Amino acid sequence: MTQLHQSGKLPPHNPIADDGDAVHFCSTCAFGSVCLPAGLNKTALNDLHMLVEHVGPLHTGDHIFRSGERFGALYAVRAGMVKTRQIDDEGHEQVLGFHLPGEMIGLDAIHPAKYPCDAVALDTVYVCRFSFPALSTLAAKIPDVQQRLFDLLSADIGKSSRFSGDHTADERLAAFLLDLANRYAARGFAPNAYRLVMPRADIANYLRLAAETVSRVLRRFQDHGLIRVEGRELELADKPALQKLARHILRD
Amino acid sequence: MPTVAAFDPGLIARYDVNGPRYTSYPAAPQFHAGFGETQLRAAAHASNEDPIPRPLSVYVHVPFCLSPCFYCGCTRIITRDTGRSPIYLQRLHREIELIAPLFDRDRSVLQLHFGGGTPNFLDRSQMAELLETIAQHFSFSRDAHREFGIELDPRFCDADYVRELAPLGFNRVSVGIQDFDPEVQAAVNRIQSVAQTRAVLDAARESGFRSTSVDLIYGLPKQTLAGFARTLDEVIALEPDRVAAYAYAHLPQRFKAQRQIHAADLPDAAMRLRLLGLTVEKLTAAGYRYIGMDHFARADDELARAQDAGTLQRNFQGYSTHGGCDLIGLGMSAISHIGASYSQNAHDLPRYYAALDAGRLPVARGLALGEDDVIRADAIGLLMCQGRLDIAAFEARHSVDFQAYFATALRNLRKLARDDLVEIAPESLQVTARGRYLLRHIAMCFDAYLAREAAPAVRYSRAL
Repeated sequence: MTQLHQSGKLPPHNPIADDGDAVHFCSTCAFGSVCLPAGLNKTALNDLHMLVEHVGPLHTGDHIFRSGERFGALYAVRAGMVKTRQIDDEGHEQVLGFHLPGEMIGLDAIHPAKYPCDAVALDTVYVCRFSFPALSTLAAKIPDVQQRLFDLLSADIGKSSRFSGDHTADERLAAFLLDLANRYAARGFAPNAYRLVMPRADIANYLRLAAETVSRVLRRFQDHGLIRVEGRELELADKPALQKLARHILRD
Repeated sequence: MPTVAAFDPGLIARYDVNGPRYTSYPAAPQFHAGFGETQLRAAAHASNEDPIPRPLSVYVHVPFCLSPCFYCGCTRIITRDTGRSPIYLQRLHREIELIAPLFDRDRSVLQLHFGGGTPNFLDRSQMAELLETIAQHFSFSRDAHREFGIELDPRFCDADYVRELAPLGFNRVSVGIQDFDPEVQAAVNRIQSVAQTRAVLDAARESGFRSTSVDLIYGLPKQTLAGFARTLDEVIALEPDRVAAYAYAHLPQRFKAQRQIHAADLPDAAMRLRLLGLTVEKLTAAGYRYIGMDHFARADDELARAQDAGTLQRNFQGYSTHGGCDLIGLGMSAISHIGASYSQNAHDLPRYYAALDAGRLPVARGLALGEDDVIRADAIGLLMCQGRLDIAAFEARHSVDFQAYFATALRNLRKLARDDLVEIAPESLQVTARGRYLLRHIAMCFDAYLAREAAPAVRYSRAL
């Protein structure tokens, strides 16, 4: 053993969407669905590509944008996880959401042209930057791009209200875990196992629960065979049971 | 279980090398001063962030001893001045106040262990006050399986002292014996009768301690097969739940007390192996199971059950059923294992006191485990605790191609396979019954630091 050789180390199975090139979008890209079925001509496709700028790697704690900054671009997560949050006048943090590869951030900044929140990397993160002036010009020319933008905006409006209702801790956590699983699955990642990248304090904050409650409920889920937790790795062992708990929150 | 006779002199010579005991990987000599208070605080902070944070294990080091045992390699201070305790306890309280807030309060203490030195250097009221301080700053688990253990020196405590420990929460006791042979006791400066030992164990059992354990050492000066056989019979008659039989590590250049021991009186490697063989033979015949390395437990003991369930872990106290804890070491020279880090407090009282008096955590050195360390630690842990490593599961857990990643380790391991210590199959590695005597050698194949050491002989004890 003359050195710490890494020769047998396989590429990590972390969710990463890096299969895009000059004429193809990443398979998980928010705008990927626009070009293929729509049969965009080569010029239109090139135009769309021209306005995408790859940014990264960003590291844990790095900001993608800050609250109050002038809005200039939308971002799509390519790899890693991004947290959006607001900090109130007393310095209390409110976590607004967690964003996975393929998901857009910054949509809520279009009006009044200022970012209303911080976007912070929770691990090693790569993003695509879509210049907004360029994107709106393109949307005016290509109806499919415009339609896709409306779809994304509409979906974004519904998301934020999800955990604001009057639900028990069990219901909230079941819905939270399933929602993440569904979002990973929709983008082609393993549907029943993923890494909980965010610290438990962030999960608790997002779900408006105490950190102890998050752990206590997860431990109970684990004792009852609903999930398996090892460090940050999570496996959904009994999805039907979780779905039953979450049915009032995840109605759609 | 093979007897020692199965080991021929050629094999013994091949394996009579020095190596770590793998109570941690990387082993303690790899700790460095670049790991300090900032890194320890960061590790503690990160350990709170798991979805289900690990429970806590707290170790308290009481460094004082009334009399020097010549074999001892622990960090301790020989003194008859009990006036030193309050000064030490004051700093210990300070350390608890500093470190406890770093851990979220819902992380309960599932394991508490007092070691030394001699924990019973502290008197009953000092002990009660210390427990009270720990309980105030940490949350003691109310789990029936919590383990609160203490090491006792029967020469310096009586039955009353032991009985008074139970109401403080202690439920496990570990008693040092080493050897009852009078010649050996004289050679190591530790005169202790069977009666003294029995008094402590009986008092513990009477007052509700759930588990009793005794420590023996083989490889001590003047030890003979006949003498150690008598000791083992006396130990079996004491009916402890667990027995630890440690190999004596003769490192006189590192441990001053050991210079009192004449090298000529020490048994050679072949004899040491026979003493271990005798220990295994007698204890298994008496209903104990050989867990591995130094440890034996009754077949119905939690340790044996944990081994069956695959949950056994290795830690600084040897083997443990609660491996999934973050370990917080308190006191001079105490070692912590928090998340993927090891750290150790200052090795002497002046530096330990100075750090705390300046309001700093007394950490002196440590190590943040890298990815390679974590992978190798897992392999070593599996082989030392379960005696088996399932290759497919290991590859899935660490995203490695096992054959490629461990090409060097496997090349070394094949030499051990030829001596029937380990079986290498495409799907698994399996330690043989013979190999369980030589777990350190098996682990050494996976140690990436050994080959880089100029002279491992200086730092580590004999592996046989």
